[in-house]
Amino acid sequence: MGNIQSISYFLPELMVIATVVVALIADLVYSDRNSYKVGYLVIAGLVVASFTLWLSLPEETTPIFLNTIVVDPFSRIFKFVFLLATFIVVLMSMNSDELKGVRTGEYYTLMAAMVLGMSLMASSVDLIMVYLSIEIVSIISFILAGYLRAQVRSNEAALKYVIYGAFSSGLMLYGLSLLYGLTGTTKLFQLSGSISSLGPGSNLTLTVSTILMLAGFGYKVAIVPFHFWTPDVYEGAPTPVTAYLSVAPKAAGFALLIRFFNTLFGTGQPLNSPVWQAMEGVPWQDILMVLAAVTMTVGNLVAIQQKNIKRLLAYSSIAHAGYILMGVPVLSQEGVYAIVFYIIVYLFMQLGAFSLAIVVSNRYGTEIIEEYSGIGWKSPYLGFFMAVFMFSLTGIPPTAGFIGKMYLFAALINGGSQFYWLAIIGVLNSVISLYYYMRVVKVMYFQGGREKDLYVPGGMSAAIVLAMAIPSIYFGVRWSFLADWVNSSLKFFIAGF
Amino acid sequence: MSGQLIIFWIVTLVTVLSAATVVFSKNLIYSAVALLFTLLGVAGLYVFLWADFIAVTQILIYVGGILVLIIFGIMLTHRITSVRLSHSSMQRGIGGAIVLMIFVGLTSMIFRAPWYRVAAVEPQETVRQIGRLLMVDYLLPFEVASVLLLAALMGAALLSRKVN
Amino acid sequence: MTIGVTINSLPVINSSTSMYRDFGTSFIFVLIGIILVAVPLLLQRILSPRRKTAEKMSTYECGEDVEGPAWVKFNIRFYVIALIFIIFDVEVVFLFPWAVVYKELGLFAFVEMMIFLGILALGLAYVWRKGDLEWVKYSVPYGRGRYRKLTIIEETPASPAPAPQETAA
Repeated sequence: MGNIQSISYFLPELMVIATVVVALIADLVYSDRNSYKVGYLVIAGLVVASFTLWLSLPEETTPIFLNTIVVDPFSRIFKFVFLLATFIVVLMSMNSDELKGVRTGEYYTLMAAMVLGMSLMASSVDLIMVYLSIEIVSIISFILAGYLRAQVRSNEAALKYVIYGAFSSGLMLYGLSLLYGLTGTTKLFQLSGSISSLGPGSNLTLTVSTILMLAGFGYKVAIVPFHFWTPDVYEGAPTPVTAYLSVAPKAAGFALLIRFFNTLFGTGQPLNSPVWQAMEGVPWQDILMVLAAVTMTVGNLVAIQQKNIKRLLAYSSIAHAGYILMGVPVLSQEGVYAIVFYIIVYLFMQLGAFSLAIVVSNRYGTEIIEEYSGIGWKSPYLGFFMAVFMFSLTGIPPTAGFIGKMYLFAALINGGSQFYWLAIIGVLNSVISLYYYMRVVKVMYFQGGREKDLYVPGGMSAAIVLAMAIPSIYFGVRWSFLADWVNSSLKFFIAGF
Repeated sequence: MSGQLIIFWIVTLVTVLSAATVVFSKNLIYSAVALLFTLLGVAGLYVFLWADFIAVTQILIYVGGILVLIIFGIMLTHRITSVRLSHSSMQRGIGGAIVLMIFVGLTSMIFRAPWYRVAAVEPQETVRQIGRLLMVDYLLPFEVASVLLLAALMGAALLSRKVN
Repeated sequence: MTIGVTINSLPVINSSTSMYRDFGTSFIFVLIGIILVAVPLLLQRILSPRRKTAEKMSTYECGEDVEGPAWVKFNIRFYVIALIFIIFDVEVVFLFPWAVVYKELGLFAFVEMMIFLGILALGLAYVWRKGDLEWVKYSVPYGRGRYRKLTIIEETPASPAPAPQETAA
């Protein structure tokens, strides 16, 4: 579709861009004391963008802007995830003590710009666009991670993030250039056609290219050999940013990963056809399976030793990336379905756990798990909901996390016998994760004094926690609404035009 | 050997040797200056690929901007003369073996791959084609690049500003 | 518009083609520049007598005694300006191809570039408003007249290196 006709399909993103512009101008006007008000503008902009996104109901994959991006139900559901996550994190940031006394106008502006980058990641079908969108998200992540400039830990986080980011994006560029060298095109749809006609001589190059591109994508979603930045960045960054980084860019990375590999190495069937075939010769499924297994194992094993709640959640988010990654190589509609479902559920429980960590740190001034002792008695509100999030993150039955994991394992089992070993590793890992998640609950309830101050966090913080906890439980009991919605959005076609 | 081929090898040699100097030099300033020649050499290679616009861009941005920035970055370092940058390498044997393996693997990949080929006809004018591609085919990436640059600008100014 | 790259051999080169000629000219310029520097240096190395004394080896043979190292710590301001410069450097590079096709595409290209420039102009407004472009941040003590509103902004006292050095370099 031509450039001018495409604009009407691009409205939600245009709203986000308008939000960035308005927020930036407002930030120039506001004094330092009032700069937090930019946050309200950003929230308003996000609401407007969500509304326009709600109104746009793409039935099928429509390439716009001369095949640089597409609009389809698949990208739409991810855009909702990004908008929702940003919305929550902006609210969380407003109620975080860490960001008090720091000028936050730029902070909210950059978050709005990040939404644009992630939306493009979820919908780009052109190598240049893929790279550009990843860079937008990365660069803004660096800035946000180092936002607390007076703190050495925050500086360290940003620096490490930048160095790993530059390295992995270099590797990814090399991988992308190999693809271009083989086919002479940057368009994903044309690439998939050209690749299938290349013949076995190209398998080695394609494998190398896959590994290199995985370095870039894997860096964004923090899968294991590319995860080294995660704990330090998550620990050093302001907690709301940590919460944000562990959910939103991760979801964007998976959206890109799914679209990229299914379009490139699937053979021509649309996503909603039941039988898929992988291209012969390039062992990308095996690579992804091994990465998934290693990722969750390493994430969980290291999480056991963590003493800081942010680091614990950082490593556990690596493990969750591993679980989600299990669904990618299955190459079935069921697999993608499970991934999208899991990401939505993960958003609620992860952001919930982080918002609780912020409340605890505001109130009790600690991020150390051992110092959480007795919080379950001191503040039943915090204790109960933290327990809910921990149960949900582990995947224990009446919670949403259980349903998410169930779908993932079901997709693996139905995918065929070559995925059984991965499912077994996944289950074993869930058992390991039970240990460290339950340790938090144990410390809160069974250690320390039992004095009661019946602390209930103030309005907005309590509301955020509640807003995250309700879906975490509700989707564990009645998930058909969510499941239908996810199911209806799984229409992206490999042959787009 | 034709004149161009000789120049090509000179440019290549300068690029590779100066790149090696960047890596192996113990003095940070020497590395930065050697990087100048690497970047210029790469610009020369672009010319041999008939990418004149990219070559000029390379000189304009990398040599004229980023290298200056790197040198500023070095000069910002406190007591730069006493900084010993290159630590003694560890695990030279294993590291060397891995590097050699990667090198051999990539080289054999490059020679075996069925690259996409078109007839090598020198383009009359690349800038016009690039302009058309930027303004029409890649309009969205072009506009989105401005948001990227804006974010980078804000971040750069924000992070390097003095903390009050 | 795909320019293929042949790996095994260099593309067939017709030496009369314009691009090589243009860049060849600049290459010759560079070459002459290098020669003009290298030959005199080489000549003096061959021809000049070398009798070293302590006097001769000093930086200024007569006059100043040298104090401290030649390396001074730059002020962060240089860095900020250079960072901002690079962003706009990249922007200018985009202007070239745009200008070439401008006549062909007309209003469409104009609007596109104005959006691009507009967003970056916001960036300029940002650094301007936040004072990142202000160069000299000191003030005149006991200022009179038009200096009276200036206040003293002190350099951080913890900084071990004397701050105003860099301007001398």
